Amino acid sequence: MEIEEFSENALTIYMGEDVDEKMNRRLVSLKNEIEGMEISGIEEIVISYTSLIIYYDLFNADVSAIEAAVKSIDTDALLQGEFEYKIVEIPVCYGGEYGPDINAFSEDGLSADDVVEMHSNTEYIVYMLGFMPGFPYLGGLDERLHKARLSTPRMRIPAGSVGIGGRQTGMYPFESPGGWNLLGRTPVHLFDERRETPILYQAGDRIVYRSISEDEYKEIKALAEQGEYEVKSQVRSEG
Amino acid sequence: MALKVRTPGVFTTVQDLGRTGHQSSGFSPAGAMDYRACMLANFLLGNDDNAAVLEMTYQGGTFEALRDMTVAAAGAEMQMHIGGVPVKTGTAANVLKGETITFGPASKGARTYLAVRKGFNIEPVLGSVSTHTRSGIGGYRGRRLAAGDILQTLPEEAAYLADKVTDIEEDDEIRVIPGQQYDRFKKDMDQFYQASYQITKDSDRMGFRLDGPLLEAEGGHDVLSEPAQLGSIQVPKGGQPIILLNDRQTAGGYTRIATVAMADIPKLVQKKQGDEIYFTEIGVEAAREAYMSEIRRIKNGAYLEPDNDFTVHRRRLASKLESHMKR
Repeated sequence: MEIEEFSENALTIYMGEDVDEKMNRRLVSLKNEIEGMEISGIEEIVISYTSLIIYYDLFNADVSAIEAAVKSIDTDALLQGEFEYKIVEIPVCYGGEYGPDINAFSEDGLSADDVVEMHSNTEYIVYMLGFMPGFPYLGGLDERLHKARLSTPRMRIPAGSVGIGGRQTGMYPFESPGGWNLLGRTPVHLFDERRETPILYQAGDRIVYRSISEDEYKEIKALAEQGEYEVKSQVRSEG
Repeated sequence: MALKVRTPGVFTTVQDLGRTGHQSSGFSPAGAMDYRACMLANFLLGNDDNAAVLEMTYQGGTFEALRDMTVAAAGAEMQMHIGGVPVKTGTAANVLKGETITFGPASKGARTYLAVRKGFNIEPVLGSVSTHTRSGIGGYRGRRLAAGDILQTLPEEAAYLADKVTDIEEDDEIRVIPGQQYDRFKKDMDQFYQASYQITKDSDRMGFRLDGPLLEAEGGHDVLSEPAQLGSIQVPKGGQPIILLNDRQTAGGYTRIATVAMADIPKLVQKKQGDEIYFTEIGVEAAREAYMSEIRRIKNGAYLEPDNDFTVHRRRLASKLESHMKR
């Protein structure tokens, strides 16, 4: 564990080099430990691939107290004890107008059905969020689905689009320009301020994509617009 | 009642001091770029420092008062007129129902903040009314203001406020704290600190792109994405630095040479395209002290002084307003 400072109101804690599930779990546990200490003045703890950052309010926090508290944590024990995360199911209508690039995988010997099969039967780990509100940096994409970004990015990718960019898969909560290969679209509002949790997942959670028909897409979309679609999620606990 | 937008200006949005605590979900803090001017505009009116204000960039707008109200502008010099009569930036003034408030182009600085007494009545999103236009969140319908928009204000009583903002003279020195990949730039560090960097036209609320001597990172310019702070100076391949500001993405994957000290953010964001800045180094502890003392100065009234320039115009408005209120 290395503690560094690059700005007045934040401590960055580096936990190593590896980007994997184990690292993510250590970071989430570390975040939980620090939050459990109820140190005054901490505004937020943000997890990324191999580090976490503690933002604090300069006028209500004592930096050295935060640092001392963090140092008192036994990082070797972070993988012990119970660990909980959510598995969030995102329905996706693959192909057609929603997924214009799904047939591009034929050059890798994969039919559209193969792509759907492989993409939707995997649990992806949310390493972190960023780029835009609710945009997950996911791990766990099948190597056979790795695909370089488009040479000419699209000016407009609709909100809800699910795609692949290089070794990553993910989805766009908001309309945006972008160069990802688009596989499909979810009717779920990935950001909805009417919901108790406007963003459905956080670092450490898992995302599973479920393939749906166009009819189901339209049904869910109508419900989502009314704020009445409830995304399926369950909590998993690992000892 | 309310304030109606006749013309919005170049880029005008509703802001407060920002949306903190949601970066882990990817929400940019947004918020007033010049936090000092935002706070001062509010303090002139006796408002909370975090009350909603309008941030106008480069060229201000024209607004019609749909009720009697008291307003104040602070920040860049954009000649303000109320009912056709010039009013100084950095003072509070009364506006009568039907009168217009107009702003000109910024003659000094880049961003002006218009506050109304008691504040605008806008529903917060995740604890803040700040507009983040890229995601369409917050403020007035998540976007910049357009002609015809009507902003509701909170009820207020007539008030006469007699402070003004002191003249704030700024130089071009921007203090920076060594950043995440500082060590990768050892070779070019002298260059970074000795040269001037120009603010290019590709500069906005998300970040300022600079033009100056190229900076080369040993070992490459790409790093694992990690959280981006206000003022992070990232250097992508190509070597021209970009200062990340309020509407930045919450994570980034380019090398970071340094972080602009928060105390110097108000100075930085009042620079216009074409202006030049230069960097000097400050340690994190000194930067912390500098920021805390700056905030204390703002809150303790160090930037306010009695307004003895009691112009005919303001007296007229004040007395007219009082008699109006008595009726």
